[in-house]
Amino acid sequence: MTVVRDPALAADARRERRFFLSLSLPALFIVGLAAILPILWIIRQSFLTTAGEYTVGNYQKVLSSGLTWSALVTTLELSLGTLAACILLGTPLALALASVRPRVANVLMAFVMLPLWTSILVRTYGWLVLLRRDGLINAALTGSGLTAEPLPLVYNFTGTLIGMVHYMLPLFLLPVYAAMRDIDPNLIRAAASMGATLRQVIRTVILPLSAGGIFSGSIIVLIYAIGFFITPAVLGGGKVNPLSTRIERTLSTFQDWGSASVLGILLLVLMALIGVMLLAARRLVAQNTVEAPHA
Amino acid sequence: MSWLRISLTAFAISAALPVHAQTVTITTAGGDYGNAMKEAMWGPAAKELGYDVREETLSDGLAALKMQVTSGAVTTDVIHLGSPEGAQAAAQSLLEPLDYKIIDPKSVPEGAKSDYCYPFDSYGTVMSWNTKTYGQNPPKTWAEFWDVAKFSGRRALRANAQDSIEIALLSDGVAPADVYSVLSTPEGLERAINRLEAIKPNVAVWWTSGAQSAQLLKDGEADLVITWNGRAQTVKADGGAADYTFKGSVIGTDCLGVPKGAPNKEAAMKLIAAMTQPARVAKLTDFIAYGPVNPAAYEGGLIPEDRLKTLATAPENAGTSVFSNSEWWVKNGEAAQRAFDEMMAR
Repeated sequence: MTVVRDPALAADARRERRFFLSLSLPALFIVGLAAILPILWIIRQSFLTTAGEYTVGNYQKVLSSGLTWSALVTTLELSLGTLAACILLGTPLALALASVRPRVANVLMAFVMLPLWTSILVRTYGWLVLLRRDGLINAALTGSGLTAEPLPLVYNFTGTLIGMVHYMLPLFLLPVYAAMRDIDPNLIRAAASMGATLRQVIRTVILPLSAGGIFSGSIIVLIYAIGFFITPAVLGGGKVNPLSTRIERTLSTFQDWGSASVLGILLLVLMALIGVMLLAARRLVAQNTVEAPHA
Repeated sequence: MSWLRISLTAFAISAALPVHAQTVTITTAGGDYGNAMKEAMWGPAAKELGYDVREETLSDGLAALKMQVTSGAVTTDVIHLGSPEGAQAAAQSLLEPLDYKIIDPKSVPEGAKSDYCYPFDSYGTVMSWNTKTYGQNPPKTWAEFWDVAKFSGRRALRANAQDSIEIALLSDGVAPADVYSVLSTPEGLERAINRLEAIKPNVAVWWTSGAQSAQLLKDGEADLVITWNGRAQTVKADGGAADYTFKGSVIGTDCLGVPKGAPNKEAAMKLIAAMTQPARVAKLTDFIAYGPVNPAAYEGGLIPEDRLKTLATAPENAGTSVFSNSEWWVKNGEAAQRAFDEMMAR
């Protein structure tokens, strides 16, 4: 830590800080306009009746309905299921990408990124073609005699999860890959020279050092997954109804903006809770890794 | 010099254009249906009236209507809705009253009349099946549709209480004429919901759009599909292994309304009157199998004989049908849909 004593330098630093702050003003303005105002509007809407009078009735109605809670459970199941699949599939993939030569890694990365550039609607309907009863996968399974009957791969929870994991995996992979690539190879060599097995290297060097990336990836996945609408709507066959489809139903069939706003706020609260939990978990892990060498 | 020439040209062009070309905006459901309405109905009507008609397409008319009227930014003059939604919109004062001085009041049969949303065509919610699965022996009644022991196979139903609860009661032996009186009792609604819950394990897909139901039927993803007759007919006509029956269909109507505060109210009424002339609603059946509500459209051979068979309202088809009751749906729709959703979540 350097302490600036010269008043002229200090004034300079202050001016610089102010300048950088002013650079961020347009972005802050847009965020304020495009994110905060609509949220305030939704909060206001959640306290209004259809006639525009103040009420807490929307909250009573939504929170006392079993449909809300079953939608909440479905939302959590889908989000955590997607996250678990992303961690299990994405972490080894990131590890593999980080350990091959940069040129090969770039080519492989392009394959991973390719789906990101495709419209989500196209990808979702693509899965429909692959997973349905007479789709490619079932045709291959029954044709080769592996299964006698086509498997129910779509229009259910499984299909929804497949579609969601496919969408989220690249988003999870990016920060994890970045974190793993930045690990100093000398640390791994040092661990190996001290007799650590591959498993020990992964557990004590690579995973702790890439924890930040895994947490960032997890947060991105959860942010997307909690509000996911298209994939459950198309691949869920009407049987997978998270909060997002509940909001749609409340708006389109009931035209109940108040209740829909309450559901939206519920999503927001859920996101905040998960964010806090993840940050707390991250701090715990960080403490453990700092303490580890002393143990 | 050139500046003068440009302004002269501009003046000449503007003088050549009609000064008061009336612009009207119509909102339809789009797709094949929206296209059919354009070709048969509002396209020719706009030409006749000299209107410049702009089309907007939306799959969820009522939600959009509410958004426009509540926010005070009404951009559409004529909106296409299902009649239950039309009645709901009227109850929420989202529609202007129809001007029956401009629109011919005699063009709607007494039972279908509405002060706010003009019913112009009708469709049947029907039973359709895969002909490869059932060959010559498909289920013939709703009771057989529910008989999963006799007719195994994957069902697809609409993820909506509308028409589904009526059909559930028909399958349970309620006569078409008694459906709404039974539904109006609390036990009646419960009976319908229980009936749906009984078949739920055999429902492979709960569909959310008409196009999706047609796809399920066409791909053989489901063997038995409850869908709209126009959709089933299109799959059949396209060579899909599918057929359907009008027996026990639920007949509903679609209607045209004018949003409250529409920018061109009077022109909108005139457009509705012109686009629903008997010849034009009869012509609609050239493109999609949705029959006119106006009895005059069935006269004078406006609709070819063989096509009548594909319309839900044709006398030979409508004998065993239930006519969807918009009033009932306005009053009980939310409770029915909630009970339906709770059944789905169980």
